[in-house]
Amino acid sequence: MSASDAFGLFGCGLLGLAAVATLIPLRRLPHRVRYALMLAAALAVFVPFGDLPAAAYLRGVTGDVSVTTLVLAGAACIARITGGTPIGPRDLRALFWLLAPAALFLYPFALGWTQFDPYALGYGSVDFVTALLLVTLAAWRAKLYAVVFIVIAAALAYLAGAYESRNLWDYLIDPLVSVYALVRLLSGLRHRLSGEVTQPAG
Amino acid sequence: MTRGGWLRWGSLAAAALVFAGLYVRHLTLPTPVGFAPARAARAASPAAPVYGAELLPNSTAASVHSATAAEISGGRLRAFWYGGSREGAPDVAIYTSLYSPHDGTWSPERAVMTRELAQRQLRRYVRKLGNPVAGRDRAGRLCLFFVSVSVGGWAGSAINLMVSEDEGETWSPPRRLVASPFFNISTLVKGAPLQFADGATGLPVYHEFLGKFGELLRLDALGRVIQKTRLSWGQSSLQPVIVPRSEAEAVGFMRYAGDPPNRILMIRTGDGGEHWSAPVKTALPNPNAAIASALLADGRVLLAFNNAGENREDLSLALSEDSGDTWRIARRLEGDPGSPGAPVAEYSYPWIVQDGAGEIHVLYTWGRSRIKHVHFNTAWLEKRR
Repeated sequence: MSASDAFGLFGCGLLGLAAVATLIPLRRLPHRVRYALMLAAALAVFVPFGDLPAAAYLRGVTGDVSVTTLVLAGAACIARITGGTPIGPRDLRALFWLLAPAALFLYPFALGWTQFDPYALGYGSVDFVTALLLVTLAAWRAKLYAVVFIVIAAALAYLAGAYESRNLWDYLIDPLVSVYALVRLLSGLRHRLSGEVTQPAG
Repeated sequence: MTRGGWLRWGSLAAAALVFAGLYVRHLTLPTPVGFAPARAARAASPAAPVYGAELLPNSTAASVHSATAAEISGGRLRAFWYGGSREGAPDVAIYTSLYSPHDGTWSPERAVMTRELAQRQLRRYVRKLGNPVAGRDRAGRLCLFFVSVSVGGWAGSAINLMVSEDEGETWSPPRRLVASPFFNISTLVKGAPLQFADGATGLPVYHEFLGKFGELLRLDALGRVIQKTRLSWGQSSLQPVIVPRSEAEAVGFMRYAGDPPNRILMIRTGDGGEHWSAPVKTALPNPNAAIASALLADGRVLLAFNNAGENREDLSLALSEDSGDTWRIARRLEGDPGSPGAPVAEYSYPWIVQDGAGEIHVLYTWGRSRIKHVHFNTAWLEKRR
């Protein structure tokens, strides 16, 4: 198995594990049971039955997931098992505010809306790297270290050629995490608006 | 230093290192160069007209489609196509057969890729296989690109590449080409690959998910996509074929899927494929069907296309002496009234190869039940009917 296949399967498998960990109310269970359940889920996801493991079926549908999705999926698994919060709400909110506009910039144009194709920038544009550097420095200055960490991890994976893709975008963002970010932002906005409406006056 | 201090300055140092790496990577990328000169075929001689035609073997598949071919050693031709119980069925496989010009026969077909093998080697679920496209990379290896789908219809396609060091007898495991950020779906291939002067391979591809448009991928020696250029945009152009004429100039043709009048689309570049003109309609009809094109050894452009606006019952050849501005219908390959035809009158998805001896080969789907091979010289092309 090539390294890119292994990394791709790992990412999809971790996404599957995060989904399992989110669906099962792990926090109500004793710690040992949580670990046993996650171990069983990991076996179900990564051990082949027939030709392919379940992660490979997911990979067929989603393709390789971005490093951002990988980090969020890993954080979700850790949070469900340990009860901790590896990524704080402030970092998450900032990450979603970065992902949502990036997705709205990338996907419509990449899908053929105009002749301009922002996806092509990911193959080798100094302007694109500079924009990413500025975003990373802004995140660092605001002490959003989880965002900085995700960018560093994505860039390292890109430089190492971890995935089949040689496009930096594919390491930073994917449709799944984009939709997740948009849903979380819209949901937060709805809560805030409903909170303002029900807030008693004075 | 406190933990917070380590986090703050450690993250900055790490960011500085990886961004240094990103800048080095992006600043040291090779500057794209133009097209490689086309391999020289023997110039046309004033020989007598030569014409031959055969149906390729098909012992199992009820439906076959989308032939492609490349010349291999000894002046032979290796063809590929997909076949199965029906288009899109799980039993569709990619078949190959070998043509020997000495005895004019095709070898029995054999499968080079099945759905099961593809999903095992690609390490992901694969639901069906589609268009194959054959060509050579700069190292001279035979390349076979093919479409696979994991979810949905053809709009869910992705492209895979496998290479052969022994003219198609054995193949490397396929690798997935990544050409779209949206689940890497909706990228298909039909046009022949081409060469860039720096050794990169160019692959014309098209998308048909929300939009229908063409792109030119640039692949490195390992078959990874390292750059791409948009050939068109919107919802009406697909299946580009590119004909380089010099290092800087190329003309391209595309299938048209928009509102009438239904015409073949044409695009041009004058800077080695960096930028392309907006598609314009030619005078040639196109019933939303694939076309094939090649630059002949004498400099003319040959086009195989369905010469009708609404159906695929007429398959003709057209010649242009001015790189696509004007055309002359040279021959009709299928659709002559009264001539015996296939049970289903559909002649489509042509593919053109001019071999090293100057003979021109056209392969196409013949009634969806067979692949047909016609071969001729330029004298036959010129001969008045």
